[in-house]
Amino acid sequence: MATFNIIETIGLSKSYPGVQALDSVDFDLRRGEVQALVGQNGAGKSTFVEIIAGAIRPDSGEIVFDGVVHPFLEPHRSIELGIQTVHQENQLVDELTVGENIYLFDLPHTPLGFVNQSTCFQVSERLLSELGISISPRKKIRELTFIEQKLVSIAKAFSRQARVLILDEPTASLDEQSRGILFDVIKRNTEKGLSVIYISHNLSEIYEICDRVTVFRDGKKIATHTVNEVGMGQIVHQMIGRASDFVYKRTREESPTERSPTLEVMDYHQPGVVEHVSFSVREGEIFGIGGLVGSGRTELARMIFGIDQKKTGRLLYDGKEVTPRSPHDAIRKGIGFLTEDRKSTGLVMGRPIFENISVVHFAKSGGLFLDLTKEHSDTEKMAQALDVKTPSTSRPVLTLSGGNQQKVVLAKWLFAESQVLIIDEPTVGIDIGAKREIYRMMDELAAEGKVIIMISSDNQELTAVSDRVGIMRGGALVAVLEGDEIDEETILRYAMGVGEED
Amino acid sequence: METPRAVSRGKKVSRITQSYVLIGLIVALSVVATIVNPRFISINNIINVFQQIAVLGIVASGVGMLLVAGEIDISVGTQVSLIGVVLAFIIQTVTHIPAGSPGAWLTPFAIPLAVLAAFVLGALLGAINGITVIKSRAASFIITLGFSTVYSGISLIATGGGAYVLLGKFSTLGRGKILNILPVAIPIFIGVILISFVILKYTKYGRFLYAIGGNRKAAFVSGINTVRVTLTAFIVVGILDALAALILISQIGSALANSGDTYSLDALAAVIVGGMSLTGGRGTALSIFLGVVLIGLISNSLVIMQVNPFLRNVVIGAIIIVAVTAAQYSAERE
Repeated sequence: MATFNIIETIGLSKSYPGVQALDSVDFDLRRGEVQALVGQNGAGKSTFVEIIAGAIRPDSGEIVFDGVVHPFLEPHRSIELGIQTVHQENQLVDELTVGENIYLFDLPHTPLGFVNQSTCFQVSERLLSELGISISPRKKIRELTFIEQKLVSIAKAFSRQARVLILDEPTASLDEQSRGILFDVIKRNTEKGLSVIYISHNLSEIYEICDRVTVFRDGKKIATHTVNEVGMGQIVHQMIGRASDFVYKRTREESPTERSPTLEVMDYHQPGVVEHVSFSVREGEIFGIGGLVGSGRTELARMIFGIDQKKTGRLLYDGKEVTPRSPHDAIRKGIGFLTEDRKSTGLVMGRPIFENISVVHFAKSGGLFLDLTKEHSDTEKMAQALDVKTPSTSRPVLTLSGGNQQKVVLAKWLFAESQVLIIDEPTVGIDIGAKREIYRMMDELAAEGKVIIMISSDNQELTAVSDRVGIMRGGALVAVLEGDEIDEETILRYAMGVGEED
Repeated sequence: METPRAVSRGKKVSRITQSYVLIGLIVALSVVATIVNPRFISINNIINVFQQIAVLGIVASGVGMLLVAGEIDISVGTQVSLIGVVLAFIIQTVTHIPAGSPGAWLTPFAIPLAVLAAFVLGALLGAINGITVIKSRAASFIITLGFSTVYSGISLIATGGGAYVLLGKFSTLGRGKILNILPVAIPIFIGVILISFVILKYTKYGRFLYAIGGNRKAAFVSGINTVRVTLTAFIVVGILDALAALILISQIGSALANSGDTYSLDALAAVIVGGMSLTGGRGTALSIFLGVVLIGLISNSLVIMQVNPFLRNVVIGAIIIVAVTAAQYSAERE
């Protein structure tokens, strides 16, 4: 195998206000190599590949492509050089044929400007067979299966003379067989000199397809290993690093007593989404749910809250049946759901803060008319209690910072007197100060006797805030950690399915 | 960190000015019309203007409240026409049942029967629109555009291209005057606007309309029964269309297949010009009122200034385009 590098980066750095997204990264990719990039969320993988793809400009450092030094790349420059990215989501046009999609940027045309279908099909047929992909170029994208669409995306990347292919989680939601097809295509082409940067959370598949693996953490490149010379345990260990000081240290000492009333989640199941999940949470307890994105955590929360369909599943509170049939029903039964995306499902951004705080309460209670004076003073009190920073609660929510928006979401569920709070990603996109405040509030709420289920992709957060942590993988709850068992590394091991004895 | 203060002050101002701009426009238009023809400002003409906009105002109230929830009903005009046809048909037919024939006892009840039928039909049309929009999950504008054509076709079939006439019956609502000066339609119009005001500002239902229009998913997760609230809004539109049809047909004295068709676009134009957002979640009863007054004044002032009255459509069309463009720019600034 040639050892000459197709890409090298030297001291690549990029910072955003408050974050060093990438810190002086030296990296090299060999010709014909498949190199994995691994790291936790926010480790800098995406920033790194986006710099390679030309979407982001580095603050300093340089990129050496095929021996030529570039201070930065533009998207079109990067494509000219032969760097192609296949994103996680399909970016094809459903109604066009495979051939048209592959050559969309440079459609063969007749002298009159019409699309030359037959040439288009001929060229794409040749390309597909070279790549070893057997899909008819005449089929429309919407007629294809998921894996076929993925393969067309890859073929499209090759249509423009790809020399480096960046694959972002290419096997997410692919089954075993499709994965085999994909790996086959990758192997076949790396033998011809293609280099691949392979981003994946699935460590076992890295051993199957990759030559080397590079670990990122906190914007730094930690190490690059030849895959046969490194164990999964060591990779995971490097992804986590030594225990760093987290922004929050819990103040609550005593754990809830055995006798406290309990929320029991019993056998929630929907084939292919959530697999027979059961656990229970006591009053006064914060139950964290960890796992990779796509492991079924949010889906489980939506089922519990009565939004999505489930095949089986019952919810008991203090022994009584409370399974919600709809969000309205869930709210009447004292369950609140702080969704992961404030903007799209949590808040009515253009409406005033006080309306957002009172809306669940009004949806829950009966009656026809509003008492505006009482509403104003009550919501005002709630906003003050949670320290929402605004000159007036009559201002639209969109004028608030992310942290204060999150406090409004919390305020609306507390205003409706929710006893059970399901909090999905409580601190996404909010600054450290507000994070600390949110954690303190969650602690206080637990101390008051609320039942809190917290879904989080931030393993530090799970470790610092939860009493117990359940971990989901592939829709199933694979482990529940307690006390000293809870640490970032263990959470990550279970989430990625590394080194389990059972 | 205190930047939110500045941002929100800017927003608050821009919202209030939207009403001020409308009031300014209305005043300016009145001044020009008065200079050209002093008769414009006379009590008689002002009453005249309000009588002309009463029907539009009632239709626009329904359209406006529905638009707060982010839905558009473009079939309101043909609903008014169809309800009008049914109303006039019942009055004409039942009044003329020959004495001695089996249904003759119904004759004295012709009007209550027709009015009841109008409201039932209105509610029914609203429910059909609403259920279809909700079940199809398609854009309400397109669904109601389809229904608009259906309703119009039914009206044409029912009238055979002709008209049903009231023969002097049922004229009070449209032509009657309180104390010989104030047309009955005006207090009804004002009443509907006031009720809309109360609903939008002081009821839970109104609040839910704003929440749904502002963010349907968030409203659903917050426990609002989005289906029921949306359906109710469509039914309210149908009921107000029935009320509008009663007044309109009473004013005209007969029902053609297309008597009310123009209200579809005029009502939507009025609420948009009044400052409601096409995507919902914004606007008040004042927006509806000012929008309706402005549209009414444009028609009236063109007539009174003896400008070609057909210019009306050109002016209203231009105002809609300006209003929507301005709203889009200010939304993007946010």
